[in-house]
Amino acid sequence: MSDVAAEAVAAEAEDVKACCARTYQQDVVALILGESYHPGGLELTRRLAQKLALKPGQRVLDVASGPGTTAFLLASEFGVAVDGVDLGDRAVAMAGAKARDRGLAESVRFHVGDAERLPFEDGAFDAVVSECAFCTFPDKPTAAAEMARVLKPGGQVGITDVALDQARLAEELKSLAGWVACLADARPLAEYVAILAAAGLETTHTESHDEGLAQMIEQIDARLVAFKIAKLPAIEEIDFDLARRRTALAAQAVADGIAGYKLLVAAKA
Amino acid sequence: MTMTPPRQKADRDEVFLEYTKSICPVCKTVIDAEVNVKDNRVFLRKRCAEHGKFEALLYSDAKMYFDSLRYNKPGTIPLETQTEVVNGCPLDCGLCPEHKQHACLGIIEVNSGCNLDCPICFADSGHQPDGFELTLEQVETALDAFVRSEGEPEVVMFSGGEPTIHPLILDFIKMAKDKGVHMVTLNTNGIRLAHDRNFVRQLAELKPLVYMQFDGLDESTHVAIRGRDLRSAKEKALAHCAEFGINVSLVAAIEKGLNEHEIGEILKFGVKHPAVRSVAYQPVTHSGRHVEFDPMQRLTNADIIHALADQVPEWLRLSDFVPVPCCFPTCRSITYLLIDEDNVVPIPRLVNVDDYLDYVSNRVMPDMSVRGALERLWSASAVPAGEEGNTTAPLECATCGIDLPEALKDLADKSFMVVIQDFQDPYTLNVKALMKCCVEEITPDGRLIPFCAYNSVGYREQVREQLSGVPIPTIVPNAAGLQPVLLTTRYGSKTHQNGDGAGHTPANGTNIGKTLR
Repeated sequence: MSDVAAEAVAAEAEDVKACCARTYQQDVVALILGESYHPGGLELTRRLAQKLALKPGQRVLDVASGPGTTAFLLASEFGVAVDGVDLGDRAVAMAGAKARDRGLAESVRFHVGDAERLPFEDGAFDAVVSECAFCTFPDKPTAAAEMARVLKPGGQVGITDVALDQARLAEELKSLAGWVACLADARPLAEYVAILAAAGLETTHTESHDEGLAQMIEQIDARLVAFKIAKLPAIEEIDFDLARRRTALAAQAVADGIAGYKLLVAAKA
Repeated sequence: MTMTPPRQKADRDEVFLEYTKSICPVCKTVIDAEVNVKDNRVFLRKRCAEHGKFEALLYSDAKMYFDSLRYNKPGTIPLETQTEVVNGCPLDCGLCPEHKQHACLGIIEVNSGCNLDCPICFADSGHQPDGFELTLEQVETALDAFVRSEGEPEVVMFSGGEPTIHPLILDFIKMAKDKGVHMVTLNTNGIRLAHDRNFVRQLAELKPLVYMQFDGLDESTHVAIRGRDLRSAKEKALAHCAEFGINVSLVAAIEKGLNEHEIGEILKFGVKHPAVRSVAYQPVTHSGRHVEFDPMQRLTNADIIHALADQVPEWLRLSDFVPVPCCFPTCRSITYLLIDEDNVVPIPRLVNVDDYLDYVSNRVMPDMSVRGALERLWSASAVPAGEEGNTTAPLECATCGIDLPEALKDLADKSFMVVIQDFQDPYTLNVKALMKCCVEEITPDGRLIPFCAYNSVGYREQVREQLSGVPIPTIVPNAAGLQPVLLTTRYGSKTHQNGDGAGHTPANGTNIGKTLR
């Protein structure tokens, strides 16, 4: 690849990341996705924490922390100290305010930062979690390498994410909006395992939670309809019929086994 | 020589679930009871020393029964209780200090007379010359007791009899409002609303919510349950309510084999009608007067939820119904629909209700304000939204749980409530559920008696006898297995032929009060 072409690709990747973070910060997306930004909800976050065997006092990094739901749960139910990092400065500010409201400002901190350039020292964390976000990172090998770098030796990565067979995915879901919906750059589970392995993270456990993804897609569709009924101004910003067609396509992809939701734990050697 | 085969131990064909108390449906003696699960259905079984064994279906979907148990909110202690614990539940109503919940909804039955003589009436009302009508003073005593117990009561329902034929009904509603009751509902068959437009106009000024009996759209349903074809009267009553802006909840009594097939049509009718904001389905309560039934085949909440999912699949499915946490969660389930010309969506599909209303798993709430909002929606005191409705704010909040644009404030106008409520009868009475009941009959002597205790244990007979001065026999369910021993009372209900009637206290047939040595 020429330098110019590489720059163009890099620029495009930066655009995608910025767009993704921006989209997640918009009210309409926040409204539609609600408090829980990932399939499986709080139950799956708890399960992830149990699989990581988190212990009180440990230090955990949440990559793409969004509204902070995962971080708050880990801190309050598992007694760990959490740093959340997210590309969206507004999300970070709001999550920080929530941490203060909940009296968790001591144990949970949020930072603006890029998954591909984590603003932390080597070996700083006992565990790294990332929920429904790895699939959206444009440069997954670098993001995996960064996770490995900030982990202590023997530390673990816990990921819950969309897995899918790109070759069988409907064309329409491969567009940018599809990307935001966590589908367009998701990979099959085996590919995540390979990306992590290349970064020195050996997968020790995987499980499927596809029903959580089906439920979330249905909830997104229900919220679209509710906001249409409410004649929400924000709903006028998006193409309602197109959005519903995409949720139908996504639901079909889950039903056909093309898309699913996986929990994965990997350890740093 | 013949060999006797070795005897094999057999397994029971049911799962033993709970040990509780109930009553004998014949003599009303308090007896032990057990709850068992068999073939994915939940049954209550008990034995009276004198009248034998009784078993009845409690819930026809055991999985749904188990799932609902997590929705059990810790009760709230009322400001004042009215009785002391003397004989134990359910003989000390009420409320006694051991009751587990305050009263979300208080019912005042203002008369026993009615302008109908329905074959099905838990109050055993009708064109009867020997009934009662409460005075203004008696209603005031009842309201004052409710206010002392609740502070600011949420909902008072005026019922009967037929409350609209009481000459003072408008005064009663005004008095309740003046005493700070948030919402007054009027439980009526709609006949006066159909024929007396001027009454509806006066009623509208007091802004009550009308609970109107509405059991179906078929003539045969009306005849079987109400004894008359009331379809045109219902239509006129609803038109008058729409004309004067009164919100209506349709109340459908559903009986096995009579009108189960109309469950979906009732909802569709309600959604389309401008006056109707809610439908409440009630499996027929086998207290008072009713057609003969089989307690093992009776209709339960689960049957109605399944019927809605089967008959209106384009709108509803099983998981759209959420148990109400304030009462015992198997007693009542609710859902809300958001509706406009083109779209329908049930609220539980918008928000993970489970994340907020599961009180059994010790959990960290994503957002306490959302739990509060959902508790107001899933409550026995929830009323459909409207000008005076209280669901507007929580609806907005519950829908998304985060910053809300102004536009969402109109959402309440587009919400429609669907309630499913099973009342206990002398066969199904489970003291465990009764102890957390939050729907109370308020009596003119100032007691708050849980509705299902009132109908099943003998309180209704006691209060009616006090108020009318006429001896009232102990009412026994018109159950298939009891037919040989039943006599018809002068109001059409049934009693035992040997007259376990007024004033007779049968011997206690349980282990209560006995010791081993």
